[in-house]
Amino acid sequence: MNLEVKIGNMIMKNPVTTASGTFGYGREYTEFVDLNLLGAVTVKGISLEPREGNPPPRIYETPCGMINSIGLQNVGLKNFIDEKLPYLKGFDTRIIVNILGNTIDEYCELSSALDGKVDAIELNVSCPNVKKGGVFFSSHNEMLRTLIKEVRATIKRSTLIVKLSPASADIVIQARICEEVGIEAVSMINTIPAMAIDIHTRRPRLSNITGGLSGPAIRPIGVRMVWETHRAINIPIIAMGGIVTAEDAIEYILAGATAIAIGTANFVNPTVTLDIIEGIRKYMLIHDVDDINSLIGGLIC
Amino acid sequence: MEVIDNREITDRVFILRLRLTESVLKPEPGQFYLLRPDTGYDPLLGRPFSAFRWNSDWIEFLIRKTGRGTALLSKFRPGDHIRLLGPLGRTFPSPSPHKTPVLLAGGIGMASVYSLLLNRKGDYIFIYGAKSAPELLLTEDIKPLVRELYLCTDDGSMGFQGNVIEFFKKFVKEAPSHSIVVYACGPREMTEPLMKLLRTYNIEGYISLEERMACGLGACMGCAKHTKRGMKRVCMEGPVFNIEEL
Repeated sequence: MNLEVKIGNMIMKNPVTTASGTFGYGREYTEFVDLNLLGAVTVKGISLEPREGNPPPRIYETPCGMINSIGLQNVGLKNFIDEKLPYLKGFDTRIIVNILGNTIDEYCELSSALDGKVDAIELNVSCPNVKKGGVFFSSHNEMLRTLIKEVRATIKRSTLIVKLSPASADIVIQARICEEVGIEAVSMINTIPAMAIDIHTRRPRLSNITGGLSGPAIRPIGVRMVWETHRAINIPIIAMGGIVTAEDAIEYILAGATAIAIGTANFVNPTVTLDIIEGIRKYMLIHDVDDINSLIGGLIC
Repeated sequence: MEVIDNREITDRVFILRLRLTESVLKPEPGQFYLLRPDTGYDPLLGRPFSAFRWNSDWIEFLIRKTGRGTALLSKFRPGDHIRLLGPLGRTFPSPSPHKTPVLLAGGIGMASVYSLLLNRKGDYIFIYGAKSAPELLLTEDIKPLVRELYLCTDDGSMGFQGNVIEFFKKFVKEAPSHSIVVYACGPREMTEPLMKLLRTYNIEGYISLEERMACGLGACMGCAKHTKRGMKRVCMEGPVFNIEEL
């Protein structure tokens, strides 16, 4: 049975990774998960300088989901390379580092510093561009193109992934732009902008007022977007959005995903990544599938 | 974990007793567990509760119904199963023999400081407040364990009329500040002014804080709290904080 998949130059021993921001820097979960068994570990988004994030409350649970506005709290590039990365390197798994910036220059500085040190770099493009009045990079196709083109030029060795937002004008068009620019893979979907109100106090549930919705509630939206995108591009998709079980993972693979990332479910059950890998194996056994790659985009319609 | 018993002690508060198996570590006073009903994905996340009472066979949680998660937990019956993650977080440090330990509990915050009282020897003074008399829980159980017990109610239906902070203000004027150490747990309206008060009087203090939480393992950064040394996670660097840190 083959579970190995390829994302750009990166070969994953199985299609399962973690969604950025839900697995810390990997170490936080080692009491529950043997990282060696994962296809890849995707760590929390890294910025050039450490970020303190938003004031609390930062999370709020909604039906079958949660809204978060952590505010991208992270240790910054230097601390990540000096303190977090060496530990992760001790495991036989692929390392994907999510990066985020306020300007194109910041992204480029991050990507050049990490190139070759990690297996893949994932660009979080759902960040405000401070030089363009705080408009999200992902909200304008041409702004996105400029950003990813410039970052592309800084990377020689690591695989480059762009994480697409479901809030962008058209996620399929943005995936096409990624392919045109020579990005090796896209990951999707990021959280969906959302909010909740305490009707008794009339105040927002989150200090940041709005946040990103994740969890099983968003899965059907993610599956639809992955399917539409898969039909439009030839580069691999790492799918995420509400995966809790192996069945959910298979659903995304049939829609067109080459690999899948587990996010919010890590908070529900810390061993979920391993349970899903096992469940995928069982599914393949029951359905007589020898190679996971033969399932990708296997939707019959 | 299997539910052994689930007892309502008021219309809003219940004690949930779960069987402890060898796979679950026993807590230290002040530590907490995430409890999640194994009934699908709504509610989705586990809920954090301080360990209340335990022995080698079982562990109890004192829970107040405040939302969907706690309402669902209140309906669990013996034989049902609940997922348990923990023990998590930092504990209350043991009282020093040179200082009188003063426990301050507001409402359901009683669960956390009560675990200290049960598990660490000390000549305790217990100051316990709630909105009204029926919400002061298990006072008969507390009495034999402490040197002095002071009850406070907002409506004056039992003990001192006013909240724990108002009572404590009077109390510290009479007690030399260097001779007491405070352990506290309660709602934000209690812990925020308490921090200021303890600093003003230069009293050593440990406060168990509450924040919305997702993973409980320090990964999601959901339960961050502003401290002197930047954002700290209530699940990892807390829930018990030395007030010097806050």
